[in-house]
Amino acid sequence: MNAIENIVFLSAALATVSGFYIQAQEYIRSMVRGQFIQSILIAATIFVLAYAESSIDLVVLGLLVLVLRGYLITELLERRIPGKGSDLREKEIGIASHLLLDLVFIMIGTFIIYSLVFSGINFSIAGNISGGTILVFPLALFFQGLFLIGSRNTTFSQITGYIEEENSLVLFAIFLIPVPLIIEASVFLDVLALVVISSIVVLEKFTHNPLEELRG
Amino acid sequence: MHIFPYLIIAAPIIACAFYKWEIRAAGIAAGVADVILSVMIYFQSPFHGVFYVDFTSWIFLVMVSSIYLASTIYSLNYMKDIQVRGISEKTYYALLNLFSASMFFTLLMNNYGFMWVGIEATTICSALLIIGEKSDVSLEAAWRYIILVSAGVAFAFISIILIYYQFHTLNVYDIIHTNPAGGLLERIIVAIALIGFGTKTGVFPVHTWLPDAHSEAPAPVSAMFSGVLLPVALYVLYRIYQIDPFPLLYTWFAVISIAVSSLFLAYQRNYKRMFAYSTMENMNMALLGFAMGGVGVIGALLLLITHSFAKSGAFFSSGNIMKSTGKKNIDEIGGLWKGMPWTSTSLVFSSMAASGAPPFGVFIGEFFILSALAGQNIIQFSIVIFFVMTAFIGVNYNISSMVFRGSSENSEPGWLMTGTAIACAAISLLIGIFLLGGYVNALV
Repeated sequence: MNAIENIVFLSAALATVSGFYIQAQEYIRSMVRGQFIQSILIAATIFVLAYAESSIDLVVLGLLVLVLRGYLITELLERRIPGKGSDLREKEIGIASHLLLDLVFIMIGTFIIYSLVFSGINFSIAGNISGGTILVFPLALFFQGLFLIGSRNTTFSQITGYIEEENSLVLFAIFLIPVPLIIEASVFLDVLALVVISSIVVLEKFTHNPLEELRG
Repeated sequence: MHIFPYLIIAAPIIACAFYKWEIRAAGIAAGVADVILSVMIYFQSPFHGVFYVDFTSWIFLVMVSSIYLASTIYSLNYMKDIQVRGISEKTYYALLNLFSASMFFTLLMNNYGFMWVGIEATTICSALLIIGEKSDVSLEAAWRYIILVSAGVAFAFISIILIYYQFHTLNVYDIIHTNPAGGLLERIIVAIALIGFGTKTGVFPVHTWLPDAHSEAPAPVSAMFSGVLLPVALYVLYRIYQIDPFPLLYTWFAVISIAVSSLFLAYQRNYKRMFAYSTMENMNMALLGFAMGGVGVIGALLLLITHSFAKSGAFFSSGNIMKSTGKKNIDEIGGLWKGMPWTSTSLVFSSMAASGAPPFGVFIGEFFILSALAGQNIIQFSIVIFFVMTAFIGVNYNISSMVFRGSSENSEPGWLMTGTAIACAAISLLIGIFLLGGYVNALV
């Protein structure tokens, strides 16, 4: 494994660890900032690959992640935190039990999908990194996002879960094969627009619980 | 260069430019223009390049433009006196236009990546439409729609990445005409797309947003969701399925979804939720047709185009009932026939059409699909027949009790709303009669 591969593996692993950090937060602001850190890590991974492959497209992609995910979305979400933002927290969350369940969910999900779908295919990752094991990181991040959406009941944590999912797809794409930049850029704008729409819902409804009218 | 696709996408967007002036009239003008352009594009098809239009996509274009026009017309009166709005009336029309433009974009693009972008854009444009009539429940339904559909469609992006990995292009026409010979990766792509895009199509178990959004959205938005949004998602799923047909997986998912939706449908107390489950049943029947191939595809297209008018008629009729009675539950409504004869007629006709009664087009479509299925898998055929009958009885029993049981003092909400509902129901009947006439002629 050369230095570039090491850095890429490390930053991908750190992005997955940042998912655990987000999962462990009770305070909304910390969660949003966790998403910021994750986006920065993903942008860093893209820049390293851009350097290794001398790819302008990847540089642009990294900048898009940095500006749209790292800055704009974080800023948008932080501004929408109601009241005294730094004090707002999700109550009745068992952090330890959630982390444990998260770990089990991720391990089972990633193991099943990786062994069923990806282990039988001989991938060549980003040109010079061989083998598909690095795909475990975006897959784990994807399941973390799903778990965050399913396990929390505030709009903010569910948006963060969705952004985590999208971040995992960016990682997945750059490891496997970067899709054309125009499509990637459209995806980024779509996600940004969706966060804007979600932030409108945040103003009206902060928590989401089962309603009698929506049963069945 | 083909100019029609550009015009079809641009018309609703141009209508949004009239936001400050007469956006309602501009929306109707865009709807009329889109219907005309969608019909005319047939004479240029098939073609491919930036856009890909063939007979299949043409059918979908006609569906979307027609229901877009009908919903805009219906909205004129429906949205006028909403008491508590989540969005302003002008914003409602702007979003309705953008929602239609995003569906046209999805149908026309000759690129799997842009199709994905289009599907995601439909969520963005339509999410706030659900809170056109604002309440705590509609906000919750809108949120569930946003988060569940986005999470599901995000999963579908994995299949787009894998398509690009495998073919080094995302060009729809090129990929489906290279006829890739069923490798493992193609199978994986098709399977992941089923779960991802299936979320928006209403495939069990990723359908859960569907009844919530349909039941809480304003009636014209429910009509757009049921009549065209789900079919557009199904279209994308079909285009991916064409890469490497995997009938075993798709037919079983469709059969199980039909069974589940029929069971859920049978015990619904809210008539819009009941129609939502009926939509799920119809979409999965169409998915079954596409998965069968051959005559099944013809059946699916017939079913979808008739269903779009029938279910729009059903949701428009539901909107009329909501306006007049203010009630959502089947048990609370009765004797509609006396006070609302026109709405009752459209409701009965639409329900019969949507549930597959002869001679409506859905019946003919289901007939084709089931005859294809009978020749291939008798177990699936038996299950589907049983649950289609269950759904038929469930829908029509509930609607009959609303229309004919007891008496009420309600009155029609106005000619425009009633007329639109009647027109949609009548078109679904005419399609069936026209098809049966053609079929009988062919036999003679």
